[in-house]
Amino acid sequence: MKRSLLAVTAALVVVAGGLSGCGEKPKAANGGTYTSIDANHAINVSAPINPYNGASNAFQGYNAMKLAWPMNDLVDLNKFYPGIAKSWDVNGDATEVTIHLQPKAKWSDGTPVTAEDIKTSAAVAYTQGGGVFALTPGTAGALGDVQVKGDKDITFTQAKGNKNNTFLNSVLQTWVLPKSVYGPQLPDNFWDLVKTATNADPAQAEAGKAARDQITALGKKLVAFGPQKDVSAGPFVLDSVNPGEALLKKNPNFYDADKIAPQQVKLRNYADNQAIWNYLINGELDSAPYTSTPTDVVNRILSVKGNQKITGLSQVSAALAFNESYAPFDKVQVRQAIAYIVDRAQVQKIGEPDSGKVATHTTGLIEDAANKWLGAEQVGKLNAYNVDKGKAEQLLTQAGLTKKDGKWFLADGTPFTFKIQVPAPFSDWVAGAKNIASQLTDFGIPVEAQTSADFATYQSEMAAGKYAAGLWLVGLGPSTYNAYARMYGSANGWAPAAGSVTRNAPKPKGNWINSPDTADVAGLGSVNPGELTYQLSQLPVDQQKDTIAKLAQFTNDQLPMIQMWNYVNVQFVNSTRYSKFPPNDCDCLRLPHGVWMQLGYLQKK
Amino acid sequence: MTTLLRRLAGHLARGLVMIWVVTTFTFFLVQAMPGDPVSAQYELLLQQGMSPDQAEAQTAVTYGFVPTGSVWSQYTHYLWQLLHLDLGVSVKAQGVKVSDQVLSAMPWTVVLVFSGILISFLVGVTLGVVAALRRSSATGHALSLSGSLLHGVPPFAIGLILISLLASASGMQIFPSGGSVDAEYVPGFNGWYISNVAWHAILPALAYALSTYGGWLLAMKSSVVSVLGDDFLLAAELRGLSPFTRFRYLARNAILPLFTVLALSFGLMFGGSVFIERIFNYQGLGVLLFNSIGARDYSLMNGAFLLITIAVILANILADLLYTVIDPRVRRA
Repeated sequence: MKRSLLAVTAALVVVAGGLSGCGEKPKAANGGTYTSIDANHAINVSAPINPYNGASNAFQGYNAMKLAWPMNDLVDLNKFYPGIAKSWDVNGDATEVTIHLQPKAKWSDGTPVTAEDIKTSAAVAYTQGGGVFALTPGTAGALGDVQVKGDKDITFTQAKGNKNNTFLNSVLQTWVLPKSVYGPQLPDNFWDLVKTATNADPAQAEAGKAARDQITALGKKLVAFGPQKDVSAGPFVLDSVNPGEALLKKNPNFYDADKIAPQQVKLRNYADNQAIWNYLINGELDSAPYTSTPTDVVNRILSVKGNQKITGLSQVSAALAFNESYAPFDKVQVRQAIAYIVDRAQVQKIGEPDSGKVATHTTGLIEDAANKWLGAEQVGKLNAYNVDKGKAEQLLTQAGLTKKDGKWFLADGTPFTFKIQVPAPFSDWVAGAKNIASQLTDFGIPVEAQTSADFATYQSEMAAGKYAAGLWLVGLGPSTYNAYARMYGSANGWAPAAGSVTRNAPKPKGNWINSPDTADVAGLGSVNPGELTYQLSQLPVDQQKDTIAKLAQFTNDQLPMIQMWNYVNVQFVNSTRYSKFPPNDCDCLRLPHGVWMQLGYLQKK
Repeated sequence: MTTLLRRLAGHLARGLVMIWVVTTFTFFLVQAMPGDPVSAQYELLLQQGMSPDQAEAQTAVTYGFVPTGSVWSQYTHYLWQLLHLDLGVSVKAQGVKVSDQVLSAMPWTVVLVFSGILISFLVGVTLGVVAALRRSSATGHALSLSGSLLHGVPPFAIGLILISLLASASGMQIFPSGGSVDAEYVPGFNGWYISNVAWHAILPALAYALSTYGGWLLAMKSSVVSVLGDDFLLAAELRGLSPFTRFRYLARNAILPLFTVLALSFGLMFGGSVFIERIFNYQGLGVLLFNSIGARDYSLMNGAFLLITIAVILANILADLLYTVIDPRVRRA
């Protein structure tokens, strides 16, 4: 048998070798080939070279550029590294930004990147919507005007009367597209259409709707569009792509080409995390994106020559979330009791030992962000809910529950038992949920961790209110509005609409948390967290602290969710072929590795 | 000839009905799956740092490609598209034709699974005959044992073992641990490209062959043993026919039950081998189907299922027709 297999293998090798007599073997690139994985999406041979496409062969930071790259600062969401925009000036009330492009910026075809390209990019962004490029009249923070001020200067102005603190952030994150490619796809009257579509005059409502429909239809066409040959303003140009990998070659016209060490970049496709780990264990990647990695795999990866890990901030936290329409989770004492029962350090050690830090305080923000916004002293005054089973018993009793033969019962005599739902492919959540379940069961509340087949199922069933409890990502930064919207946004029924916030009815809109509209908190009085969260989207960064303090205290008291661990951004790199990787805690760690190169990191050994 | 054509026409008509039935079933099955691509994409964009309203707008553009309206109108729309040989566009890779995606993944799976099936069938059947003829010897026992063992080991486990032995830094790093071809090689009928494709396919094909060879071996052994006792073999021996001719008689009769299974295996190969493709990061139809399910890409799922359905039904028809060639008894019946 063994001989047969060897014979078959040998035969295949011989056939392969025999065929190698013709064709040309690719030559090694001088500056070396940097091998990595783009975590934003898997590679799709048939997809267009268009950053707006969900599959796309435009790779962020390599052959797809934004005006600037966000630093993911803990406090200021408007801190950016330069991209195609070399610098920008913001007016006094942050409603107007003038962008100055990199003087040497050129497309890979040798033509300069001009302000007209940026205006075309804004037009395409309008067809895709979102951020400042909202077409609905009266949308907070929507763009009012785009004016080309010169070859390399362009001004974006926020629509009057609708301030939003994410305006600059949103403008700077615009994809930069070549007018020579995308311009012909737009109708000549495009900007007139935008003006009609965004007109809030009720007399023009019909014309506005027609214009919006036309732009939306154009958006559907444009998202599937892409040039046959890549025209890139980034450090690399797409050379070829096959189902397994994409090959990008250095763009000699890139404005900072001297900083870019690799002659080419190979981005490998991946089916799942296991594929990334296999490549790392074989030392085949120069860098890999963040994956939640089990300890034994981490150890195997680090045992390979040259492999090392870089750690930094990750602005996201995993929390145990309750659906308050399920009794007794509607009672704050029960949620608080659970916080006193569960030893979160143990949960983190089991669930996310290498890429997590225990969440000391539940505030709705990750610990570092809470400390930076409120100060460690003020955060320290919040309830840490250290394990205190006596206190938990007292709270449960206050909530009307009773204990009999070591088990807890609801006021109506039924046993207090529930399931914690988690998606099966998230191994860290599964392990964490099992540990929480085991701790609660030991306390006398029989709890089971139950898995959903995949995340899509989990998400839709959770939104449909089918789960009493589950794990949920919170604290998504750097925008504090984004962070608190995870608790007091659409999942809890609050939705911004025409300059204010409304509360949707449960199920149809996916309101599965079901918190009450308001709750009383000692020292704060009656608080509507949805209103406060909405205010965060309007307030300038330097005026947010008081609102954040209220929301943090409210969250810490009401515990719609209990934060278990804060993620740590762990990335693996291999220093065998390249050196000068970003240091630990670099604020560039969350950025694509092509941006690392733009920032001067990575040198060929 | 007329009989054969009438037979073929009957098969094709039945095949079309079966394709419609299976297509209808899978359409409603896919629709009934919990989760939708919009919410899956929305969450992904949020995790990538997009603000909720940006993520919502982006997914709204995507959602425009999902047929709206009642399930019935979606179904009739889908059938109408199919009649025009249009599988629709992918939900995740907005606007990209499903047929383009399926056709670009198909060759990789065919290379992998076809060679895997061929190797496992040839090796399995040959060793199955040996195991049957020497069933009381140590060789026979050893072969049967190897067949049973490998048949019981999951394909992904065999894949992992092969990677750690032959493709990892800690073992012999002879083969690539993943991928289907290096991007530096210019696609085409040139030696370097083909050898690079073959180089990447060896381990996954071997894993596929090893995981399926046991089944062929055991089935062939059992079939040979049952044929060995037939009168026609005794008659052949009494007539003084040579051992080779008797072996031909034996093999031809014993392989019959395996023939249909082989034909169906070729049909099923279009479903890829999800586990092996995932372990070797081999971007074939199996991974495409797996990813489309995860992303709730309805049109891509439907397209992939349709391809598998058509392939299996065609393979079945082909097996039925060829069966009449290799087994005259069926023809007479």
